[in-house]
Amino acid sequence: MDEWIEIDDDSPEALLAHFTAKGWGDGLPLVPPTAERVAAMLRADAGDDAPDEVVAVLPPRHGQATRRAIAVNAVLAGCEPGLLPVVTSVVRALARPELNLNGVNATTHPVAPLVIVHGEAVEQLGFNAGLGTFGPGNRANASVGRAVRFVLLHIAGARPGDGDASTQGQPSKYTYCIAENEPASPWESYSQSCGVTSASAVTVHCGENPHNFHDMESDAPGAILDKAASVMATLGSNNAPVSSAEFFVVLGPEHAATIAGAGWSRRDVQSYLYERARLPARHLREAFDIVQVRPWLRALADDVPMPITDHPDNIRLLVAGGAGKHSCIIPSWGMTKSVTLPVEP
Amino acid sequence: MSPKIHSPEGRIGEAGAALASSPEVLAGLRIAVLDNGKPGARLLMETLAEQLAERSGAQLAGVFLKGSAATPCEEALLAELVERAELIVTGTAD
Repeated sequence: MDEWIEIDDDSPEALLAHFTAKGWGDGLPLVPPTAERVAAMLRADAGDDAPDEVVAVLPPRHGQATRRAIAVNAVLAGCEPGLLPVVTSVVRALARPELNLNGVNATTHPVAPLVIVHGEAVEQLGFNAGLGTFGPGNRANASVGRAVRFVLLHIAGARPGDGDASTQGQPSKYTYCIAENEPASPWESYSQSCGVTSASAVTVHCGENPHNFHDMESDAPGAILDKAASVMATLGSNNAPVSSAEFFVVLGPEHAATIAGAGWSRRDVQSYLYERARLPARHLREAFDIVQVRPWLRALADDVPMPITDHPDNIRLLVAGGAGKHSCIIPSWGMTKSVTLPVEP
Repeated sequence: MSPKIHSPEGRIGEAGAALASSPEVLAGLRIAVLDNGKPGARLLMETLAEQLAERSGAQLAGVFLKGSAATPCEEALLAELVERAELIVTGTAD
C-alpha cells in the first residue's frame, strides 16, 4: 500500500525540518521521494510490476521492506535509479538469519553493515573500487551505503536509542560501501571464492570501522602480514573475550601484489594470519573475568598463543583501494556472519 | 496544496512477541533469572529477583544462562524455564 506524507513546501529546508521532527533521516539534506522519483527508481528494477512485494521483514521494528519502501529510501539517499538492484540485494542479505540483524541493531557495540560490491556492477554503475574507496566523492558508494542506512533507520527502526543501542556509534553508520578492485587483485574475485558466480554480487559484513595498517618498506609477505596480525590481535576486539568471528582483510593493491608476487595464495594469507594473530591465553584471562570464546580456546594453557579467531576461514581477504602502502582490517561485531549474494532485481 | 512525498517507513510486517500478563500475586510462585551473560545485567536481575521473592513470598528458582546476549534464548532452555518458574526476570544489554 502507498503511504503519503505532506510537507510544508518542496524546499530542502522544509524536507529536512520535517524529517528531523519525525526522528527520520541522518541529519543531512535529503532528496524528496516524490511520486515521480520513486516511480523512476522502481522502473529501473523489477519493482514497478510489484511495488508492494515484500523483499524482507527487518527487526527490531519488523518493518516490511517492500520494493517501494526500498526505492523511497534509495531516492532519499541520492541513489541513481540503476543502483536500486544493489540496494535490494543488500536488503536480502540483511534478512539472512546468520547475519543476525536483530543483534546487530540491539548491541551496544558500534557495528555497522559494510557493503562490498563485486563484479560487473562496479564499472557499470560507477562504484569506486580504487583510490579512496572507503572515502567520499563517489556517488554510487556514498548513496548505496546511505540508502542501506536509511532502510535500517526507517524500515528496520534502528534509530539510536530505541532501535540501535550503540554506545558511541561510529562514522560508518552514515554510509559504508566499497567495491572490490578485481582488476588489481591477484586472486580470484572474493564473491567467486564464496561460490557466488553471478556477474555481480554484494557482500555484507557487520563490523567496525576500518583499522589501518601500513608497511612502506617490506618486500616479503610475512613482514606485511605481521602488521595485519598485530591489528587483529588486540584485547579491545570483541573476538578477544566473546566471539570467534570473521575479520575482513582489505589489502591495498600494492600490498596484494607483493604478497602474491611471492607465490602466496588467498589460502596462504588466511593460514598465515591465523597462525600469527594470537594473544597469550594468560593475557585474556588477566583482562577479562568472563570469556565466552569457543570451549577449546578457553581450555588452552596460559602460555599458549590463542588464535584471535577459531578458523582460517574466518579471515576474509579481498583487494580494494589504489596506490600506496596501506591496507586495513575490519573486525566483526562478533555474533554475526557475513553474507554474499548475487545482485538481482 | 502541500507537496506530497512517500513515507520512508513502510508498514510493520508482523507483531513482535507480547509479554505474558503478570501474575497478580507472587506468593508461592517461582522466580527465575534468564541471564544474558553480561555481568552488570546479571547483578541487577539477581538482585531484583531476590528482592521480589523476599517481599512477596515467592521462591527463587535459580539463574539460567543463555548462549549469548546477542542471540535469542535457545528453545530447550525456554522449555526448561517454563517448567521451572512462573515468573522470569530477563533483560537486554548490561
